[in-house]
Amino acid sequence: MEFAEHIKTANVEDVVLRQPLQPPSRGTLCITGHHLLFSDREESDSRQVLLLLRNIDATEKSVENLTGYSGFFSNASHSERMSGSSGTITMKCKDLRVLQLDIPGMEQCLNIAHSIETLSCLDCVSEMYPFFYRPVELSLPEQWGLSSPEMHYSQMKELYEKWRLSTVNRDYSVCSSYPPAVIVPKSIDDDTLKKAAKFRQGGRFPVLCYYHKKNGMVIMRSSQPLLGANRKRCKEDELLLQAVIEGSDKGYIIDTRSRQQAQQARMTGGGFESKSFYSRWKRFHRPMERGKALQESLIKLVEACGDESNNMDRWLSKLENSKWLSHVQNALSTAGLLVECVERDGHSVLVHGSEGTDCSLLISTLAQLIMDPCCRTVEGFLGLLEREWIQAGHPFQQRCAHSAYSHARLQQESPVFLLLMDCVWQLWRQFPLALGFSEALLLRLATEVYASDYGTFLCNSDQERCALGVKERTHCLFQALLRPTQRDYYSNPLYERTELAIWPSVHPQSLQLWKGYFLRWTQQVRHLEEAQEEIRNMVIEWGKLACS
Amino acid sequence: RSQISVPVFMFFLSFYYCDNGLSSLKMELLSDVSLLPGEERITDKDIIYICPFSGAVKGKVLITNYRLYFRSSDADVTVTLDVPLGAISRVEKMGGASSRGENSYGLDITCKDMRNLRFALKQEGHSRRDIFEVLFRYAFPLSHGLPLFAYLGQEKYAENGWTIYKPIEEFRRQGLPNNKWRISFINKSYDLCDTYPTVLAVPYKSKEEDLRKVAAFRSRARIPVLSWIHRENQAVIVRCSQPLVGMSGKRNKDDERYLDLIREANDTTKLTIYDARPNVNAVANKATGGGYEGDEYQNAELIFLDIQNIHVMRESQKKLKDIVYPNVEESHWLSSLESTHWLEHVKLVLSGAIQVADKVSSGNSVVVHCSDGWDRTAQLTSLAMLMLDSHYRTLRGFQVLIEKEWISFGHKFASRIGHGDKNHADQDRSPIFVQFIDCVWQMTKQFPTAFEFNEHLLLTILDHLYSCRFGTFLYNCESVRDQHEVRSKTVSLWSLVNSKVDMYLNPFYTPESGRVLYPVASMRHLELWVAYYIRWNPRIRQQQQSPVEQRYKELLALRDEYLKKLEQLQLSDSSTSSHLANSPTPNTTSSSTSTPSQQYTHLQTPL
Repeated sequence: MEFAEHIKTANVEDVVLRQPLQPPSRGTLCITGHHLLFSDREESDSRQVLLLLRNIDATEKSVENLTGYSGFFSNASHSERMSGSSGTITMKCKDLRVLQLDIPGMEQCLNIAHSIETLSCLDCVSEMYPFFYRPVELSLPEQWGLSSPEMHYSQMKELYEKWRLSTVNRDYSVCSSYPPAVIVPKSIDDDTLKKAAKFRQGGRFPVLCYYHKKNGMVIMRSSQPLLGANRKRCKEDELLLQAVIEGSDKGYIIDTRSRQQAQQARMTGGGFESKSFYSRWKRFHRPMERGKALQESLIKLVEACGDESNNMDRWLSKLENSKWLSHVQNALSTAGLLVECVERDGHSVLVHGSEGTDCSLLISTLAQLIMDPCCRTVEGFLGLLEREWIQAGHPFQQRCAHSAYSHARLQQESPVFLLLMDCVWQLWRQFPLALGFSEALLLRLATEVYASDYGTFLCNSDQERCALGVKERTHCLFQALLRPTQRDYYSNPLYERTELAIWPSVHPQSLQLWKGYFLRWTQQVRHLEEAQEEIRNMVIEWGKLACS
Repeated sequence: RSQISVPVFMFFLSFYYCDNGLSSLKMELLSDVSLLPGEERITDKDIIYICPFSGAVKGKVLITNYRLYFRSSDADVTVTLDVPLGAISRVEKMGGASSRGENSYGLDITCKDMRNLRFALKQEGHSRRDIFEVLFRYAFPLSHGLPLFAYLGQEKYAENGWTIYKPIEEFRRQGLPNNKWRISFINKSYDLCDTYPTVLAVPYKSKEEDLRKVAAFRSRARIPVLSWIHRENQAVIVRCSQPLVGMSGKRNKDDERYLDLIREANDTTKLTIYDARPNVNAVANKATGGGYEGDEYQNAELIFLDIQNIHVMRESQKKLKDIVYPNVEESHWLSSLESTHWLEHVKLVLSGAIQVADKVSSGNSVVVHCSDGWDRTAQLTSLAMLMLDSHYRTLRGFQVLIEKEWISFGHKFASRIGHGDKNHADQDRSPIFVQFIDCVWQMTKQFPTAFEFNEHLLLTILDHLYSCRFGTFLYNCESVRDQHEVRSKTVSLWSLVNSKVDMYLNPFYTPESGRVLYPVASMRHLELWVAYYIRWNPRIRQQQQSPVEQRYKELLALRDEYLKKLEQLQLSDSSTSSHLANSPTPNTTSSSTSTPSQQYTHLQTPL
């Protein structure tokens, strides 16, 4: 296999592993194409650490005895020097864990470091671990994922009257980031869709993502319209949107950019729906941070969280300066606005920013959680993520290539999905009974999105996934999470379904740092987790009895 | 005929309104306010409450000798206020007879519990004069020669809270006296130290005259005495005030020998003295005759814990109030919070207590003092004891802890809180006890299963810290309390609590007797206690009782119902089951003889 050329030293004895919350241990280190395996030598209580190399965000190495290094090439005592020296590799992981390896022998250390650096950021998707993950007890699934757009549509009988499933994108030629089937107004034919797609960035024409059963209003999402500097218009796009609000007086557009940003976008061919051509649509601008700014916010936050110095006087300022919590606040309040439009005001809404693959998904997902009790169970939530993130074409591969520790130059990384998990956690904290899943599920997803045994978060779109055979050759995370034991573990024993919307409070005093994620490798959070686990077990125990 | 009938009809209507109508309206408004036994109505008045959240609200205010009660009369907004007069620190007139602007004439009331109230009245006929005077008189009874409400209340409870703490019993629980420590009654008439309790635990080898000599060298005669002893390693927590070293650097051989006796008691090489103050403050205290233990104390090490004094804490809380009431700081919330330094002070108190607890659990005795040993010292010893001794983490044990370390050892509640006193700007005021309860809350957040009591207890304690409804927090020390016959003439807060225990229990409590709790005193892990400090703001999500706790209690209630049903079933089935019990098969025997109550206790073990 090609991986072998990156592995000069596969095994090292007498390595010391230091990891958070545990005493250092001495043992054997082994590097494979996808894993770092460490097993200590204690016969009785042997411990193994299996780390996915993909999980490693950054490595730092320091080799002791550097003066000896200069004599590296002198023939005499070459091997002695090598064996007398040692090195340390610090591995900073995407799950925010920091591990350290003390490796005897400079050459071995450098070899290992080189292997880790190379193998942890392979670009080729088909070489990634999910394609090799074959647990014995599982055969590859017949059907990958929980549902498909077709199945989703067929289950929503209330859609039949006014909405249809279009397969205009069956070969991904209309929109490369959409799934083959999408839900659109019944009165709009495929030719109109094709023309409307040409008027939207990346072909992401407006499609239905949520139908509010209580009043028949919908949430649509798309990318920005391509007006350009000379204010082009597109009859078909206007028709499509017109059809969405047929029988109603108006609709709302929530643009996740500021008015100014939206106007500037015209210079590069983009823009927004102008009042004169979309007269029955009222536009709101709710600027949300995205892309690089969001990634930098995460980096600052993680830096503040990992600051081990005793001088913690400035913690709250550092937390504020990272702006992470204000991004959380912003996302939740924009989602709140969306819910207000649909649920309280009774109007349909179109959501988009520029590409329509990040913030639009974030707020449409949050809005559905706030409004729709069906999305709040374990199955419902995973289904929602599958529709709104996997099928809808959030570019996971680009966004999650690196996390907060990486020294690599930022490209398209952006922790939008992590921000979603944080927002959902805030909802979960404010409504501990209304959500059917536990914090552990959010933690698991936030970890898996960066490095996983499963193929669920691979690739940037459905098209890429099909091209690489992800659905045939990898296991699906969501299916795994729904297997009985896992499902029990990830469910909330106190869950009580409520039909009401769960309006989060977005005051800064009501929002908190997600310690379970950002401080998860500290003793304190571990204690809290244990206590939560204890409470959980108590509740399950009594719950069973009370209901028997 | 019809022309005549109309005025009659109108007359009837107006008569109805004038008489029956108004009085019935009045009845309807405030007569249903349930008063405490012994509580008396003083006055009521139409008034406008300037609510910071919903604007000006018309309604009626009722003043009793215990509370200020307001209810809105508008149909569309319902606002009620129920404020014990004890919570009021200041009443001021706002605007004058000639001031312009709507609602500019009235009263401004500052409260001790993180809120202010503003009322507006009609600008005519000195309409606020009498209500101002009534409020001023009854909110500050001690400044007017009136008794505190605790002496007027006639409440009766099933439990007598005054019996919760018996010093000798508490010492016995700790295993005292023993061959190293004895109980001394030298202070039985408060003539050794007037701010100490009557019963003290001191080194076995110390003689009564030694204690008197030591008293001469300790500020306000607050000599080092035992607060707590570790059952296994016999290490102790000793508390006292600062030594009277002064500018000249006086020494006192008796004091030095006395501290060495404490060290000897559990045979360690070094005694650790924790001075709660910052080093500079301790040095500065020499100028006023105080100071700290110097090198002359052999076999002792001195550690400063850097906790600021009462004035700094008062200013910090004031700043905190500024950012949470009436409007919550929005745009730079975290840095504003940081600039109050409130959490930083909480951190320092907690980390001081952690050091004390850690030292003791590793087998070394410690002495804790600050200047007078009744503020920071009480915080440190009581928090350390809470970490070390799981008994204090029970509902009753926590009451004992407060009675012992705070009330009996003379935390100056009267001076710090200013019960019934009009001097709102008194320099003695300080939120030291609030800060302690905040630290306890931080611990309960970090160890959600380790405390038998819940947040509601902590909120109740703080409410009645000010209310003057109970005698518990009145006066500065035991000798003054005795003079005022607090125990015989007032009701204890613990009577209320222990008569309705269910409300204050944490359903997730899992007793673990041997465990020492070390909270993390890092800023990252401390939180602002929103449910206390921002509880008056309706826009902040109220989590007064966590829904999780609520739901769990429901499940417990269901369980009880289930067990009751099971019992009934078994009773009605008793003939068959007793028959079965006699059957020789061991399986059947065990299952049929396990009565519901046995199952109950069995099931309770995991809790």
